[in-house]
Amino acid sequence: MNEQPITIQSWPSAILHLDADAFFASCEQAVNPELKGKPVVTGKERGIVAAASYEAKARGVKRGMRIFEVKKVCPDAIILPSDYETYSLFSVRMFEILRRFSPDVEEYSIDEAFIDITGLRRLYHGSYEKIAHAIQETIEKELDITVSIGGSLSKVLSKIGSKHKKPRGITLIPGRDIHLYLKDLPVGNIWGIGPNTAALLQKLGINTAIEFAKKDEDFIKRYLSKPYIEIWHELNGRSIYPVTREIKSSYQSISKAKTFTPPSKDETFIYAQLSKNLENACIKTRRHNLAASRLIIFLRMQDFSHSGIEIKLNSPTSYPSTLFNALKEGFKQIYRHEKLYRQTGVVLAGLMPEDKVQRTLFDDNVKIEKMSKIYSAVDSLSKKFGKHTVQHGCSLPTKSQSQHEGERGDVPQRKLNILKGENNRQRLGLPVLNIRI
Amino acid sequence: MKASSDKLRKRIDYISSFYRNNSRMPTFSEIANITGLRSKNAVFKLVNRLESLNYIARDTQGRLIPVSIANPVKMLGTVEAGFPSPAEEELADTISLDRLLIQNPSATFMLKVSGDSMSDAGILPGDMVIVDKGQVPKSGDIVIAEVDGQWTMKYLKKRGEGIMLIPANHKYKPIKPQNELKIAGVVTAVIRKYK
Repeated sequence: MNEQPITIQSWPSAILHLDADAFFASCEQAVNPELKGKPVVTGKERGIVAAASYEAKARGVKRGMRIFEVKKVCPDAIILPSDYETYSLFSVRMFEILRRFSPDVEEYSIDEAFIDITGLRRLYHGSYEKIAHAIQETIEKELDITVSIGGSLSKVLSKIGSKHKKPRGITLIPGRDIHLYLKDLPVGNIWGIGPNTAALLQKLGINTAIEFAKKDEDFIKRYLSKPYIEIWHELNGRSIYPVTREIKSSYQSISKAKTFTPPSKDETFIYAQLSKNLENACIKTRRHNLAASRLIIFLRMQDFSHSGIEIKLNSPTSYPSTLFNALKEGFKQIYRHEKLYRQTGVVLAGLMPEDKVQRTLFDDNVKIEKMSKIYSAVDSLSKKFGKHTVQHGCSLPTKSQSQHEGERGDVPQRKLNILKGENNRQRLGLPVLNIRI
Repeated sequence: MKASSDKLRKRIDYISSFYRNNSRMPTFSEIANITGLRSKNAVFKLVNRLESLNYIARDTQGRLIPVSIANPVKMLGTVEAGFPSPAEEELADTISLDRLLIQNPSATFMLKVSGDSMSDAGILPGDMVIVDKGQVPKSGDIVIAEVDGQWTMKYLKKRGEGIMLIPANHKYKPIKPQNELKIAGVVTAVIRKYK
């Protein structure tokens, strides 16, 4: 029964999923061409592998590995600090290139996108596969990085396609071939099915994606909830999840976390790190005109164990000044003396649109109004002169030591070699090639 | 005439700075806000005027598209001394420095020059060059290339069947690629910032 095609329609809809290959490492190789063909690893400043080039992966380097382990398994690996500025420039350009092909582009993450190309065959005088190739070639030519593309009738299926062959792969799965790709795919490898659901499905005798897809609707509805019913439809070639054009504007929560090296015992310094994270999270919250009703704080120790606390706020806000009391309180509860800390983080949750916030009788409206004026001034100063032009005093101790002390090499090249007219806060929005000529 | 053109000039500036700050064109009610116009009809007239002067355009759905309003740097046109300039009608269409220097935004990179092999072409050590990866290199272009494992910036010249890389400094010799030539991009501009 599993040999039978799921649908005989080839392309009722065509959705591509694009996944850049070892994105951060590839960007490094693009701006430092002499690194091509060599094992490159990024994430030096955090002490953990953020991305590894395919050459490094071939030598056994994996994401999330500790840097000292990398030096053991691959002694000649080139270990670089992350240069998020350059990666973001590449990411933006990648999406711009995609929008040349179709207006329906969803920026799923920094290095992943969904593109709805339904109906574009006539425009490009060729098959969907030809369009996928054109996208891959354009990105490789203009950005010098490779991407893998999967294409099928739905998002879930196109994601299976992009994983099928990497790097520089193109895998198109027309309706009549879906069953071939689901045959050997473990059910836990489907996008959206986590370990718990996979375990449940296995109890029900479902091990592969094809077994899941071929179950009848009554069975699925009896045992599973809505998100999984949707995945089931998607696997059967019925597109449920639309490709959404807008840049992400609705957030469940906004979080900011930063690691610092070397780890620290200094209470003031650790609290300053935390308050800087809070400021950053608030900046982002205000940028999206939101207000948070819950504040979550966490601290991570050198041995990677962590502690956290959640605080419910009296009234939703996006201004650090109104949050510092809660922050201090929470910090006191979870901070342990004499422990070495490596990371602090802040999550603002329970977000709602700023203009929908219900003020209570006990809110000090004059103060809130003042706050909103102060912070809109702070935000416009930041826009003009760079982030953190105006900062809260309690975040200042973060400046007493650089975020990642140690070798000079822990700062990306781009930040060391600034151009005339640039400063530490604001740099030219063009990637800079690192070639000696 | 003078007063009305000043007023127009100011309104253009407001819209222009809105565009620069927000990276999008204002809506009609936003235009009313920033220019101080009190009715949508007045805004509508202003928009029509700016459209006829080619400062802005409209797409098929009536949304505003910046034309010359997006560009803060004004090209200096020819000036006839003593003749009162009929300001707004004659303003030359302008483009920004960005647009002047960058043809292909998603494929453009910067590179800091360290060597002097192109000094006679006016490219000195410390200069920044703008490199376009999207262009097809032609004979006569200055290119960034990898020749037999070495990176270099030279003139690309087609000589009969072969390809030569020619320096612009007599201290260096032309290079004839032996095994491999990879062209990373075409140099489209050089920038030297003094201050």
